[in-house]
Amino acid sequence: MVDYVIETNNLSKIYSKTKVVNSVNMHVEKGKIYGLLGKNGAGKTTTMCMLLNLTYPSGGEISLFGKDPKKYPKQIYPKIGSIIETPGFYENLTAYENLKIISRLRGNYNPQNIRLVLEMVNLSDAKSKKYKDFSLGMKQRLGIAAAIMHNPELLILDEPINGLDPFGIKEIRALLKRLAHEFGITILISSHILSEIENIADVIGFMDEGVLIEEISKEELYGRLNKFVEFEVSNIDLAVEILKKLELKENVDFTFNDDRVINLYSHLELRDKLNALFVKAGIDVKKVNLCEENLEDFFTRVVSNN
Amino acid sequence: MLTFIEMEFLKLKRSNIFLLSLIGAILPPLLMFIAVSAFGEGSTFAVLFSNVNMYMSAIFAVLLFAIMISYLFGREYNEHTLKTMLTIPVSRGKFLISKYIMFLVWIVILTVVTTLSTAIFGFAAGLEGFSLKLFIDSFTQLLFANGLLFLTFSPFVFVSLFVTNMVLAMVGGAGLTLLNLLIYGQNWAPYVPWVCPYLIASGEIADYSASITVSYGIILLTFVIGLIISYLYFTKTDVNL
Repeated sequence: MVDYVIETNNLSKIYSKTKVVNSVNMHVEKGKIYGLLGKNGAGKTTTMCMLLNLTYPSGGEISLFGKDPKKYPKQIYPKIGSIIETPGFYENLTAYENLKIISRLRGNYNPQNIRLVLEMVNLSDAKSKKYKDFSLGMKQRLGIAAAIMHNPELLILDEPINGLDPFGIKEIRALLKRLAHEFGITILISSHILSEIENIADVIGFMDEGVLIEEISKEELYGRLNKFVEFEVSNIDLAVEILKKLELKENVDFTFNDDRVINLYSHLELRDKLNALFVKAGIDVKKVNLCEENLEDFFTRVVSNN
Repeated sequence: MLTFIEMEFLKLKRSNIFLLSLIGAILPPLLMFIAVSAFGEGSTFAVLFSNVNMYMSAIFAVLLFAIMISYLFGREYNEHTLKTMLTIPVSRGKFLISKYIMFLVWIVILTVVTTLSTAIFGFAAGLEGFSLKLFIDSFTQLLFANGLLFLTFSPFVFVSLFVTNMVLAMVGGAGLTLLNLLIYGQNWAPYVPWVCPYLIASGEIADYSASITVSYGIILLTFVIGLIISYLYFTKTDVNL
């Protein structure tokens, strides 16, 4: 039986008659990195807020670590670290003081631990710097430090790489992968950046307009990415005529555009024959590529189908 | 709860509002010192303490407390720290109560500062009639008045949770201060929650025909209503990110 750290059943949120989260059934497996992918306003943050009890659901159920968080909040929430949107810290206080407040209230204050976690996110030099003087990237790092400081079993991170430079993104990505794969921490991470989710997640949940359209593992995703053949030809009309004579249907078996590019989605094995037919008809074939749909195309397709 | 209060203190470290509130607590004694030195307004410690207590608790404290309470609650929204605190997790009820207690402790600090600075300014002005009893009585009177005033500020907690902008607190506090000035001395002053704390503490309420029990009742009712609506609002609504 699969051990789910997060499980939701028809989780919904309605704001003034608009369903911003619509019957979401989410399954986050223990020890996995679950990437929640969706456009801005897809309902990712609201879903995470409901998991963290910051927003009250309008309907549905939440199970965290197999328990109802409403009944066992004191057992469940201390096992979670989180960042929701911009990290929030007291601007007049230093990084160290901010982390001290959080750890004192958690009841596990340990100066050595704070130093260690600041080192992990490369903020050792800034521990005495006031939060208001932090750059956006530093604020994000401090947010991650606060989220992992108490060795949580689950991390809920809403757009945690916002504001980080490419070097910082790489570091945080490596840190999160290490936390998940070495320490067995389950991570739910949201982003609207497809490449980031593709890079980090083991399982991807596609969300759009409040609906969790699909949850698939990365292996499954790669198996489902469409393959197609791309032809770049000198005479598009004649090439299309040839395809139609072979009973290939426009917008089903192939598409074409104004750049004289034809994408063939079915009968890929015919590509050699087609190439020969085009050449025989006097068409210059400048390019024949066997391509694979990327995550962006897949996301667009999944969302469009929805 | 002690940790909560301690952490509330830490949150005020290097806080401009906290420093400004201390300056605010010194302002009435300073103005009275100027009045005594420049215009000869009162020549004894008794008059100075009495004037400072009146200006502080009946007029200036209303504005000051409105700003303080708005800062205590509003900053958790404006600095996006509420979500950090609640996901620790901290119970919403406990969080609200710790803020109320911190507000009361802050008031006590300001009361100490006001009374101490009044004594210092009195000595600087060369006034006569200082005694330890007078000092303690004056402090007790101001503490009692400010303590009652604290109770009347629970509706402001609700307003601060609802509208987190400090400008509103300043405008509201200034408006209430003006209202107090208009009402002070009127027959129905003992029925206005923000005026009667000073009237009760100073004993001036005896000059009015109203019953002191009614005034206490109004203060308590204001406190309970403010506490209930702020608790219900805070525990039942989603956290604004």
